[in-house]
Amino acid sequence: MMCSPARPWRAAMLGAALALAALAAGTRAVRAEYGDVVMNAYSTEAGMRPVVFPHWFHRVRFRCKVCHGDLGIKFQAGGNQINMLKIIDGQFCGACHDGGVAWSVESCNLCHSGKPGLPTQVHESTIQKLTAPGQKQAGSAARK
Amino acid sequence: MRTTSLTTKLLSLAALGVMAGPLQAQEGRQVYEQKCAVCHAAGLAGAPRPGNAADWGPRLRAGKASLYRNAIQGTMRGMPPKGGNPDLPEAAVRAAVDFMTATVAAASKPAARPEVARKPAAQTAPAASTAPVRQAVPPAAAPVAAPAIAAPEAAAVAAPAPVQVASASLALARPEPGSGAAAANAFNRLLRPPGKRNLPPAEDGIHDPAVDGTLQLQPPLAAFGAMPRSNAGNRVDWVKALAEGKIAPRWERDKADAAAVVMDLNIVREVKGSMPDVVYPHKQHTEWLDCSNCHPAIFVPQKGANQMSMAAILLGQGCGACHGRVAFPVSECRLCHSKKKDGVAAGSAAPQAEAHR
Ligand code: HEC
Ligand code: HEC
Ligand code: HEC
Ligand code: HEC
Repeated sequence: MMCSPARPWRAAMLGAALALAALAAGTRAVRAEYGDVVMNAYSTEAGMRPVVFPHWFHRVRFRCKVCHGDLGIKFQAGGNQINMLKIIDGQFCGACHDGGVAWSVESCNLCHSGKPGLPTQVHESTIQKLTAPGQKQAGSAARK
Repeated sequence: MRTTSLTTKLLSLAALGVMAGPLQAQEGRQVYEQKCAVCHAAGLAGAPRPGNAADWGPRLRAGKASLYRNAIQGTMRGMPPKGGNPDLPEAAVRAAVDFMTATVAAASKPAARPEVARKPAAQTAPAASTAPVRQAVPPAAAPVAAPAIAAPEAAAVAAPAPVQVASASLALARPEPGSGAAAANAFNRLLRPPGKRNLPPAEDGIHDPAVDGTLQLQPPLAAFGAMPRSNAGNRVDWVKALAEGKIAPRWERDKADAAAVVMDLNIVREVKGSMPDVVYPHKQHTEWLDCSNCHPAIFVPQKGANQMSMAAILLGQGCGACHGRVAFPVSECRLCHSKKKDGVAAGSAAPQAEAHR
């Protein structure tokens, strides 16, 4: 691997990161699709399964800009304080999942389909691989 | 969250770098030349050009107050708040707006670009270039879909399709990932046995197979089948899939035919050491994203003004806000580090610039 000799600490960091990533990829039982976001800021507390948001499914249908620009959803898993009240009010997921653009909130289990208790995080992300080979990232830490 | 406070620190660092020199004068023209000309002089992405009656006419009808407000708060269509200079006093922004609109009434030919508008652009751009060099793409040629903003009526008549057609001819110079999941890739250590990729929800370890919803969800491979493959991430090449029309993701939530506001402007970031330089392509990004997704929260819109490093990217800063999360992962070094040191673009820079003439 080519790395900058002028900045050895960075090269070392990069090497460590990649090694970690390889390790994580090899040992984890989770094989989630790249970019799948588990959202569990409120679900478990409320007795529901966590929500799984599949980025790939939405990218086939909408450009990033629709949600991250027009709907104001921040690039931060757990950073948007999305809850059912806001969704029913037509914000966030509710801008489309209203029975108009897409199926409505009545189909609870299509979203609330995560394994019980999973923490909020972006699956297969660099951060996940660097920090949570055993998926120990605290869900509440992602809340602002 | 830790990454967030890091972002703030990095951003304020970057901001300090840009804002270090105190504003020499608050006078409108100077503010314009220093902070606004980079976009407004050439009409980048539909930014109204100073003194251009056609650009400003409809906007002026909304009133000066609305212009001031939009200049200070920014707009969804590409005007960053205060032009990406959060420390600029509001009075200075207003003065710059006054300067840009002052000559509108006097301009005789609506389409003519006043000389005053062009000069500052030529002056500001080189001034900012400390290390990185921009590819020779004149800003005037950049905004593919600019008319859609400047003249909504005209855009409504012309079918808003051509943007994607243009990109289809820009097949990117990069090794074919092979026909299927079996494509071998020497430098990617994150390779997984083919049978363990793109698993259906019930087997992916995060969906609960005991829930009826899980079984109703579309398995990724059912959607990816017809899409060009890649070696990492979702293992589909999203850029190619879009360019080849394999997918047609909407640009507007509820309109099937709205076209993206695409801007073709490459930024080259020189990298010390042996790694090839980074070519940041606005084109592929603006196919998916709005200017305001990056400017100014993630990047100040000024070449060289932002601190970038692999360490930060791995931590989710800068390019890492998306790459390594949803856009292709950091393991794909060559997609970013695409320009050989000898000046030959290993990526797609040169053909792109031509395709848009
Ligand atoms: C990164 C590029 C960029 C920079 C820098 C920039 N602008 Fe803009 N600006 C735009 C774009 C694109 C538009 C058109 C967006 C729209 O129609 O809302 C625009 C629109 C405007 C408008 C019209 C808003 C309206 O309501 O129609 C004003 C006024 C304006 N800019 C002022 C400024 C001032 C003052 C500065 C410098 C302090 C500045 N801009 C710097 C890109 C930029
Ligand atoms: C995915 C993020 C992203 C998006 C979206 C994006 N930009 Fe940029 N932009 C960048 C980066 C990165 C740079 C380079 C900054 C640097 O070198 O420090 C840049 C630089 C610029 C510059 C400075 C060019 C120069 O020569 O100094 C302008 C102007 C600009 N962008 C305008 C826009 C406009 C207008 C849009 C929307 C049509 C847009 N950008 C969309 C990331 C983005
Ligand atoms: C998403 C785009 C992207 C990817 C993928 C990427 N890099 Fe980088 N890389 C950058 C940027 C941006 C910089 C900073 C350039 C600058 O200084 O302006 C950089 C800088 C570097 C540097 C210089 C030292 C430093 O840390 O800043 C090295 C070495 C490097 N990258 C190696 C790699 C390697 C090895 C890979 C693959 C594992 C890789 N990069 C993947 C964007 C990327
Ligand atoms: C706001 C999100 C975002 C940011 C920030 C961002 N990108 Fe991207 N980038 C994307 C998306 C989305 C794509 C489309 C391809 C994909 O999803 O894999 C893309 C595509 C690209 C491509 C085109 C690859 C190809 O196949 O043609 C390059 C090169 C690239 N990014 C480099 C960078 C670099 C370098 C930076 C930082 C200076 C950066 N990106 C920052 C979202 C982003």
